[in-house]
Amino acid sequence: MAANWAERISAFSRRPSGFLSGTTAEAFLAELLRELRDDRATYSVKILLLSPLCEHPTLLCCSDSVGEETALELMSVFAQCPPKSVQFRCHLLLALTSVLICTSCVKSHSRASLDFLDVLLQIAQDTSDIHTDGSQRPLRATACECLRELEACCPGLLSQRLELLGGLRQQETSRLHQAYAELYTLVLRNAIYQLTQETGAGAEHLKALLGGNTSAAWEADQESGLTSSKDSAILSSLILGPMGTVPTLHTGPDCKELRSVLSTLLDESYLLTPLCQATLLHRLTEVVAMVPGVPPAIFRTHLLRLLGTSEVSLLHATLLLKCAFTDSLFSSEDEAFILKRLVVLSQHPLLSTPEKLFYMDCILHFPENRPISCSDGDETLPVLLTPQLASALVPTVFNDSTTLLARFNMLSLVYLEEGEEGQGGQGLAYLYEHLSSLLSMVENGCSRELVVTFFRAAFLFLYYFCHVERYSNDLTKQLCQLYFHHTKLAPHLINLADQTQDRLSESSWSVGLLKALQRVITEAPLTQLTSHDLSRHLKMLARVAEEREIIQQSTLTFLSSIITPSSSSLCIGGDWRLGNDILGVCRRLLVHPSLDSLLTPLADVLQLLVCHYADMEIQDHARLYYTLLTTLSREKLAGVLAQGMEEGGRQVKKQSLSCLMGEGLTSTLTIQQTETAVFRLIEAPPEPRAGDINSNEVEKGPGEASASVEAYRDQFSDSSFASEITLQYQLVHINSHDCHFDQLFSIRLHFSLTDHHYEELGDISVPCLLRERPSTIVQLTLKPRKPYPTSLHASAIFTSPDGRTWHTTLPDIHVAFQQTFLPLPVPSSWGRGGTLSVFEGLWDEICSESGDSATSLFCCQLKEAALNTLVEKHFFPFLISDLSHKEEFKVLFFLPPRSHILLKVSSEEDAVHFHIATDNWELLSHINSYLLKITSLQEDTLS
Amino acid sequence: MTVRGLWIISHENGGNLSIRFSRRFSTVEHRAKSLAGSSYVAVPEESTFLQLLLTELGLSDSGKNYVALRDDCLYRPRSPALELHVDGPGKGILWPVLTVSQGPLILACLPLVDVPPDPRPPLASLLSVSQGLTLLAGLQTFLLGSGSKPDSEGLGSRLAMLPSVLLQVCPLGTPLDVPLPGTPATPTAPTSAGTQKQPAWKTGLHRGRAVVNVGLIETVRSMQYGNRSRQDLWDVYGTVTCKCEVEGVLPNVTVTLSLPPNGSPLQDILVHPCVTSLDSSILTASSVDNYDGSAFSGPYKFPFSPPLEPFRLCSYTSEVPVPPILGSYQLKEEENQLRVSVTLKLHESIKNSFEFCNAHLPFFNRDQMGVVDMKLSSGQLDVSKEKNLLVWILGQKFPKSREVTMEGKISFSGPTPGPSDPLCTKLTAYVKLHFKVPDMTLSGCYVDQHSVQVYSSAKPRIVTSRELQSKEYYIWNSTGTAPVSSGQMMM
Repeated sequence: MAANWAERISAFSRRPSGFLSGTTAEAFLAELLRELRDDRATYSVKILLLSPLCEHPTLLCCSDSVGEETALELMSVFAQCPPKSVQFRCHLLLALTSVLICTSCVKSHSRASLDFLDVLLQIAQDTSDIHTDGSQRPLRATACECLRELEACCPGLLSQRLELLGGLRQQETSRLHQAYAELYTLVLRNAIYQLTQETGAGAEHLKALLGGNTSAAWEADQESGLTSSKDSAILSSLILGPMGTVPTLHTGPDCKELRSVLSTLLDESYLLTPLCQATLLHRLTEVVAMVPGVPPAIFRTHLLRLLGTSEVSLLHATLLLKCAFTDSLFSSEDEAFILKRLVVLSQHPLLSTPEKLFYMDCILHFPENRPISCSDGDETLPVLLTPQLASALVPTVFNDSTTLLARFNMLSLVYLEEGEEGQGGQGLAYLYEHLSSLLSMVENGCSRELVVTFFRAAFLFLYYFCHVERYSNDLTKQLCQLYFHHTKLAPHLINLADQTQDRLSESSWSVGLLKALQRVITEAPLTQLTSHDLSRHLKMLARVAEEREIIQQSTLTFLSSIITPSSSSLCIGGDWRLGNDILGVCRRLLVHPSLDSLLTPLADVLQLLVCHYADMEIQDHARLYYTLLTTLSREKLAGVLAQGMEEGGRQVKKQSLSCLMGEGLTSTLTIQQTETAVFRLIEAPPEPRAGDINSNEVEKGPGEASASVEAYRDQFSDSSFASEITLQYQLVHINSHDCHFDQLFSIRLHFSLTDHHYEELGDISVPCLLRERPSTIVQLTLKPRKPYPTSLHASAIFTSPDGRTWHTTLPDIHVAFQQTFLPLPVPSSWGRGGTLSVFEGLWDEICSESGDSATSLFCCQLKEAALNTLVEKHFFPFLISDLSHKEEFKVLFFLPPRSHILLKVSSEEDAVHFHIATDNWELLSHINSYLLKITSLQEDTLS
Repeated sequence: MTVRGLWIISHENGGNLSIRFSRRFSTVEHRAKSLAGSSYVAVPEESTFLQLLLTELGLSDSGKNYVALRDDCLYRPRSPALELHVDGPGKGILWPVLTVSQGPLILACLPLVDVPPDPRPPLASLLSVSQGLTLLAGLQTFLLGSGSKPDSEGLGSRLAMLPSVLLQVCPLGTPLDVPLPGTPATPTAPTSAGTQKQPAWKTGLHRGRAVVNVGLIETVRSMQYGNRSRQDLWDVYGTVTCKCEVEGVLPNVTVTLSLPPNGSPLQDILVHPCVTSLDSSILTASSVDNYDGSAFSGPYKFPFSPPLEPFRLCSYTSEVPVPPILGSYQLKEEENQLRVSVTLKLHESIKNSFEFCNAHLPFFNRDQMGVVDMKLSSGQLDVSKEKNLLVWILGQKFPKSREVTMEGKISFSGPTPGPSDPLCTKLTAYVKLHFKVPDMTLSGCYVDQHSVQVYSSAKPRIVTSRELQSKEYYIWNSTGTAPVSSGQMMM
């Protein structure tokens, strides 16, 4: 069983949604809680069982009330657990914290959360083990951490306990003082924040807060505690850089108490782990920023130690300190020192790559004492970062990719600022030399990662220095050579052309590159061209043909030379892909502005394809293009062909480039992906109820109950008998979408399962879906292996009126438990008597057997009228007894392939009893939640 | 100051990358939701997360030459934090995902953004980022263990310990500490209930004889070009490692580093957080400054209270006037063979007593070696034809002249091509030196046994040691083009 739990818990945390589709959240939660109470389970298993509650409490506790109940359950488990199971009790506290916070119980001050708070405070104060073995220390540490998290999520929760917590912190001499210190500083910070939000709060309030004399501040506090917890501002860090404002508390210069508290905390901060020191320092920075009465100089004695540290988080906290107090704490020498330090750390041989990258980021967001601009979030160079200083960070071929690019970016900024003269010019020359050495590594066939790095570096270089023509022109030349030897780089080059065109709209570099590439391709001898090269060339030429300014004659000459039968065997080979590539170029040429001058050669190329290309489809397409070209006026031609391109705009372009298969008019061959769902399937309203077929009272079926059951069972010898359920859905548009998808044709729906409880589904075709017409009904035939609720993923391929083919994903279809119900499958000739005896037979069998069978009782409060409505509304198709027979309704749900759920529903004096019998006990939890749902619905509608 | 989730990824036995451990911190997620408001993006399920992360790291679809999402040339700054582009219903950008990777392991975490999310704040404004990096680095050290080669069995068992480790170091998403390498600390017996608070980073108390061990290791790196137009480069950095077994809750120890007269000052000093105070003069010298000759040059005092386990007390860099070994390397292409000439000179200031000294000569992008005909003035030669590698073993001592040479010819006539390298083509080639010299440092820096002060009742035993080792010590062929390795040469 234990191994089984480990597997199930790991399945849950891997994919909670998938896991819960095979069961229900309530059922799983109930199972977890039951097992937690079970004395036979070991504590290591129980710790495992708590992890779903810690990690996904809101998935398991769907409402606050469930959260509250779960918490109460867990607390009673905690109360009964022997003190020596420290680990388990620690995990229990964590689970409780998670459940109570995430279900908002803490926010609403629910009973369980108040009880839990008391438990935590008790544990935190219980130092009885100090003279013994200290075995309960982890529990106290965990309790403090839970209190800290509660305060972090509901700021102000512990404001009134400040003095108590301060006392605990002072007393503690074991390592635990850290946990108390962290808790205390957070509560202090939040309490002061709340005071800043109160009008008229001042020195006395602060004093009262620290002195524990809370009676004065009590009521106001409690109020604000509730209001500010709605506001996420208190959760945010208050240190935001030059643009941020900090709420302040005006106390005047007299805040001795606070000052002494802060000094003690700072002096003892040395005793904390670096991570906790950093947090503490940050919290205290916020406190001092909020209380101008305390001078920032209080931090001064600690600065040297912090500035010399090798710990990234401590230095970071110091930078944030600088960000908060600038020149009131740091002189300009300090500033210069810190910057130099950051440069040193950004390339220190003993630090890890992520740390170095982080320090580089800190340089680009350096908190200057007097920033020149207040650019929020943008990378800017600190004034003090001279080229001389930055030269320690030039990129080299020995750097890893990310470091290389980060350095390249930073140095580009430095040299851009310097201009092209002097040091800036030298630096730029270096960067270009570096780019060239990367290029030669690509030339020599390096790893894929380095290829990508080269193109990113090239993009960066162009981004900053595209205007420096001696470099950008040379780069064009080098890239052309590179392409000539490595045509497989075509997608990278196209991507580079696209991105530079996008980001540098005023530059014509990208067009220049494409022009040069066109020359490389068209002027090279054809003799050694492989079909791979050719395909890449054609893709490149297709991209070149998108540029209005590039003359396309040479492209056409190239096309004609590769398909002329005398000089090439391409036509005879009839490769479909290459054919498409050629057509791709042609299609772009058809809409090129210089078409007039291309007319004859283009017509010739198309004609050659029509007559000689050995693939039928390519011939057809070429013929279509030829016809369009020779019969339509230029404007019309452009109109017809441009439609697809311009409507989709950039998206179509990108698409066709990135997948390198896409091609406008041959869109029937290309499937495009819709950005969002276009339509969905919703459950169709039930058809009007047919007359009661079984009105025939005459008993024609087999007589006795057992015989009836036997005859009934015989039907199943045919394995396909009653094995399917058919569900009706409407296919409808999802609103608020562009008119582009108003009319859809040839829709093919594809379904995939999310679990193993059903057989695979076939595809379904729908001829059309028009927005203004009534929706189409789709019948889904499901063949259950196990009749559980499930979800289906659905996708579709369809055609839009412009002839393009699309792939889209539909929202998931949820099949509810009750949708798997079928009426008892017996011949209609059996009549009511026959079905009744099957019912009785099955009932007796289930009650007498054990095995997979089970019986159960479900009770609820329902008035008679309500019960009748319920039966009529939900059970009518499954009713075995007569509707007029009101003392006891007999209902039978048949669930393919072989399961039955039988209900006997009767009104007793105190409640309505649903006696349940089933031959598949695993269905009990489902039927239970189903009954719960429909009966509570009934209650709601009546009340 | 918190992380929303933590993921540990490694190769499974089959070779595929998979998530071996993950932890989501639901209460932090709860805060993330209220902090981010409408721009909140939920953390996707494991498989999706993994897929997105691998794409971002360039590790997905390794069979494909170009994948638009993975290989786009648009530079995404703000590393070391990645953006994951989450598709589907919870569409949006998950940021900042931090990763560290080493060997078979990738560790990732998602720090909480506790400042307004729009416009995107700089990483430097989020304390949780540096804390996240520290946590990841700590977990990495814990998982890979002390050995340089991680064994999958050890990794598995340490992964299994993670839940209880996290209970101590990061129970609710707020990193409190990094795990101690090795076995999790057993809670030590409580101390006498004195008034002195025990540091949170000290897992217990030492009982018994006091021993202080101070080890100083200097590492030298070099790039030598043998070319007038290119300045040769070398640098030195040192680390001081301590292991202190001293009684008391917060004992005081002081270690002093000293330099010989005229020694150039120690620069870029970084200290362990257990150092209690620092003199400002110690921090002033920096390698990115112009040395003005007036800088403080010691002695460098480091007062501290030691943790129980060994730790790196401090590190420094130093500028030394000459490299310990000056080399020259010349290759000449002659028909189907290569004429090789190497000279190595040991500087007179260096102690001629090595633990080992080897020179590696790899040859890339050529056919396999055929005939190797070399003359050595000293040492012996190991030829590894499969790797196209010559290893010249110089042993413990250079000859009296302090100069050794190797000359000869290699033909590359093997039937199969040897190893390849994108950098070392044509005549671009190097000799790489590996050596270790015990009981010496280049900077002259030393720890005097008598300068180690321990303020405790019992007289401690004090052990000090020092050594010099090489790392990335390259001598490039002066007849080929050598790659540029630092910006310092251009200024």
